[in-house]
Amino acid sequence: MNIIEVQDLKRIYHAKIGVLRRKVKEVLALDGINFSVSQGELFGLLGPNGAGKTTTIKILTTLLTPTAGRASVMGFDVVRDATKIRPRIGFIFGGERGLYWRLSGYDNLVYFANLYHISPDVQKKRIPELFELVGLGGRENEKVQGYSRGMKQRLHIARVLLHDPQVLFLDEPTMGLDPVGARELRQAIKNLQMEKKTILLTTHYMFEADAMCERIAVINHGKIVALDTPTGLKNYVQDLSIIEIDVFGIPHDAVERIQNLDGVDMVSVENRDQKQALRIHSSNGAGAVAPVVSTLQNMGLRVGNVIVREPTLEDAYVRLVGGEI
Amino acid sequence: MRRLIASIRVFISGAWLSYIALFHWTHPASYIASKIVMPIASMLFFLYLGTSATGHDTTQFYIVGNALQIVAISAIYGVTMTVGRERNMGTLIYLIGSPANRLVIFMGRAFFNILDGMLGVVMGFIVGTLLGLDLTAANLPGLALTILISSFSTCGLGLMLGSISLTALNIMFVNNTFFFLLLVFSGANLQLDKMPTWIQYVSKWLPLTRSIQSARLLVNGATLTEVSSLLTSELTIGLAYALAGFTFFRWFEFQARKRGTLEAF
Amino acid sequence: MMLSKLRVVWTVFYLYLKQIAIDGFIIFTVIIQPLLVALLAIYMLRDIEGFQAIYVIVGSALTGLWSGTLFFNSFNIQGERWSGCLENIIGSPTRLQTVVLGKVLANLIISVSSMFFSYPIAVLLFKFRLTIAHPFLFSISLVMTIIALMSLGLVIAPIFSLNPGNIMWVNAFEFPMYILGGFLFPILLLPGWTTPISYILSPYWAARALHITSSGSTSLSDVLIYWGLIIFLSLIYLFVSSWLFRVLLWRAKEKATLGLQ
Repeated sequence: MNIIEVQDLKRIYHAKIGVLRRKVKEVLALDGINFSVSQGELFGLLGPNGAGKTTTIKILTTLLTPTAGRASVMGFDVVRDATKIRPRIGFIFGGERGLYWRLSGYDNLVYFANLYHISPDVQKKRIPELFELVGLGGRENEKVQGYSRGMKQRLHIARVLLHDPQVLFLDEPTMGLDPVGARELRQAIKNLQMEKKTILLTTHYMFEADAMCERIAVINHGKIVALDTPTGLKNYVQDLSIIEIDVFGIPHDAVERIQNLDGVDMVSVENRDQKQALRIHSSNGAGAVAPVVSTLQNMGLRVGNVIVREPTLEDAYVRLVGGEI
Repeated sequence: MRRLIASIRVFISGAWLSYIALFHWTHPASYIASKIVMPIASMLFFLYLGTSATGHDTTQFYIVGNALQIVAISAIYGVTMTVGRERNMGTLIYLIGSPANRLVIFMGRAFFNILDGMLGVVMGFIVGTLLGLDLTAANLPGLALTILISSFSTCGLGLMLGSISLTALNIMFVNNTFFFLLLVFSGANLQLDKMPTWIQYVSKWLPLTRSIQSARLLVNGATLTEVSSLLTSELTIGLAYALAGFTFFRWFEFQARKRGTLEAF
Repeated sequence: MMLSKLRVVWTVFYLYLKQIAIDGFIIFTVIIQPLLVALLAIYMLRDIEGFQAIYVIVGSALTGLWSGTLFFNSFNIQGERWSGCLENIIGSPTRLQTVVLGKVLANLIISVSSMFFSYPIAVLLFKFRLTIAHPFLFSISLVMTIIALMSLGLVIAPIFSLNPGNIMWVNAFEFPMYILGGFLFPILLLPGWTTPISYILSPYWAARALHITSSGSTSLSDVLIYWGLIIFLSLIYLFVSSWLFRVLLWRAKEKATLGLQ
């Protein structure tokens, strides 16, 4: 059974520009997207910033009304039956906000437990359990303003599990966490999936989507450009080799010249501290290395490491969103 | 000479830019509500309250007092916010690290609030004429001077409060308290000579008190000479507060640099 | 279901009180401001014939109650938006109004306490003897005042959250209510055209009830009329409030302003 159904979902924002003579600019955030999520699935929504991931989640969690199209959660329409959806879902928009800093972690959970009509008896048992579950045992009576970013994120997880919802919406859950914290969080999410909860998560970390999700929808400029399993998505780039070349200070026209070389399908540039990583999708395999390197050297550019490798999900993603990161 | 010109340039551009960047009431709605509606409503309130007790012939007394009181809005809220905002925006640290003259920067922050305060008082007087204030016998130049001096002097207090606010005290608490203290003790609504000694004593230490006294005399046609000692004292008090504020500001800067808490700016 | 709603109101009330108990702004509005207003008013009014200190105490406490209700509720909902919790509340099964009510009540309890701070001023400083003419009727009038301000607070909260710009107008409403509510002087002194405005403001009737039961002579029938008018106006305010919340939520979900700062 499909727990989440999205049909031709459209959302337009009206942004006011100017101070005295206000013009209204229409921003098309979602341009008719379609997807569904079945029970117990861990579904990922992947895309660059501004692609429409958060807008999608806000519509599904009844916080935003769509401009056109339909969406339903557990069979209930997100607009008409919002009150029926709320007790059954949990959502995290994460980060530093969304908690009361002057209250303790414990008091925050009591507050939200009451919003979800959980009786005091159940609260007394469940809240300590949740603190242990998310690794905050012993810190529940400290004020949230003293929590680290990772602790706040974990408190959000505890909050969202208070009423034992069947569906979870997690918007960029590991953003801003250190690698260890992020890994622990990912494990926690996988554990939740094993309890047959349906989970929709958004992320712009490709390896995270690859590691966790059963299916991924890649969204860009408000449209779903691909919807498949991670393996299926990698097939988009399966016939390609990926050449990664470190360069130092590459000008824009150099990228264009390389794009025009034989055997070069696509070029993207990623900034990494002092250098740039040139990523080239080539149908020529390692044969494209020589022409590219000589072109760069002829332009007087310094060339660092050169690697030829198999494509990953990240490469598929980059290809799907047209080279924008 | 060049240093002087540079200082003047710092003063004017700093004052103007800080006004634009940090002025508390940039949105028209905010300005109208806080600088026009509220002072007029407040004046009406105290006018009705006062005349209910002391009769209609004391209308002038309350109008002049409350019109001058309007200067406190810019002087206290405006100035302290201007100084305090610098800190919130994180720009204070750049000011301190610059070679610009500290005193010039500091005073410059108050400059436009002084002008703004005067504007408020003038508005108060205009509204007052609609409520029964009779300016036909008034010494208008003298009144204008009084308004200037009162604005300057009360802004001096604002500067002191603003620099104190840098120590992370709850600034709104301090602002509100001093605003209401001025309201009570400046004599805007009380005949100070009939008040207990302790009230008279407190009022002597505050700005605005002498300006209000001068204004009341000038509205009835007094000459500048007759109010000159009041105005001189008023000016002195304002300067004293401003310098106290500046001293505190420098002390605070020194402490912050010594203890490495400059980022707390 | 009712029980869980009450539990929400209680939790919000209790936890909100915990959060703001030591806030400087609260302490100022609830303690310092009414104190200074009382001080000023006593000195201004004490030479009138028939002056009663209790009149000033009650009147200045009313100013504290109103300022508290106005300012605290102007950022009642906005505060949730700023801390990022508004979405969490609206996405929960509990209605926004229920949460707002809890905070309105918390604000009121704090504001009511302002009455007890201006009391010692009059007694200690001025050696006035304060007597309440009709204590029982006064107590009920106090409860009525809380009802009046509670329902008005439920109107104020959504109004100042409907548009981000609305909150800038809050300062404009403080003193006009002191005047039109007849807190420290009778509205007889005001131009006649303002009288209908006073009549539709529940704090005006609350002030009349409190004054007449503390410093005046009264018959039960007079006070009953005032209480009746308070209840009547409060019901209207609640109706308006519920409409405002509907508009607010609809607009927020249409224009995506739930999460904005």
